[in-house]
Amino acid sequence: MRNDIRDRRAETDESQADLAAAVGVTRQTINAIERERYDPSLELAFDLAAHFDCRIEDLFDPED
Amino acid sequence: MSEHTTPATVRPSTRKRYKRIAYGLLAAGIAALWIGIALDRFVLGVACYWAGGIGMGLVQRFSPVELYDERDSTISRRASQVTMNVFAYVFILGLPGGLVLEETGVITLPGEFYGATWTLFAVFVVYGASVLYHKYRP
Repeated sequence: MRNDIRDRRAETDESQADLAAAVGVTRQTINAIERERYDPSLELAFDLAAHFDCRIEDLFDPED
Repeated sequence: MSEHTTPATVRPSTRKRYKRIAYGLLAAGIAALWIGIALDRFVLGVACYWAGGIGMGLVQRFSPVELYDERDSTISRRASQVTMNVFAYVFILGLPGGLVLEETGVITLPGEFYGATWTLFAVFVVYGASVLYHKYRP
């Protein structure tokens, strides 16, 4: 699923490892989400949205 | 909704270290089993193997960090589905195919064929029971 996690991470100057630790998953999982090779669970999507202080639909685009 | 239990300060490297310890214990157990067999100390080898397996389980259960995240679970689930599908085709096509070949005198099936068939049957019985449990559990 398309997402702008990479851009958001760049804005906050976080590494994949930093974000992974913050939401309780592995760095590989964050990498897979950014590369659109893995769609996160609803729970993780909420955690990511909370981390970036935005709504889930601001992070993820279900189209495509 | 449940919360992630991994604290934000946990680094992936810690997770990786505990994973290596867990798999290392199992690998050591397997190596000890082979060495025990080679040295004709079969019981000792099996004991070491069990110790390695139990040690792996204990590390996975009591490590201070979650060793597997949701993507690991997803990968495992998909791999399990593929495995079950492969063995379903082996079971559905292989069993009658083998019996027909034996009945027509083309081949003589070894005893292992029936052993493997019953083993596969048992796997699918357990799988079916698990599906029913998860489907209808309260």
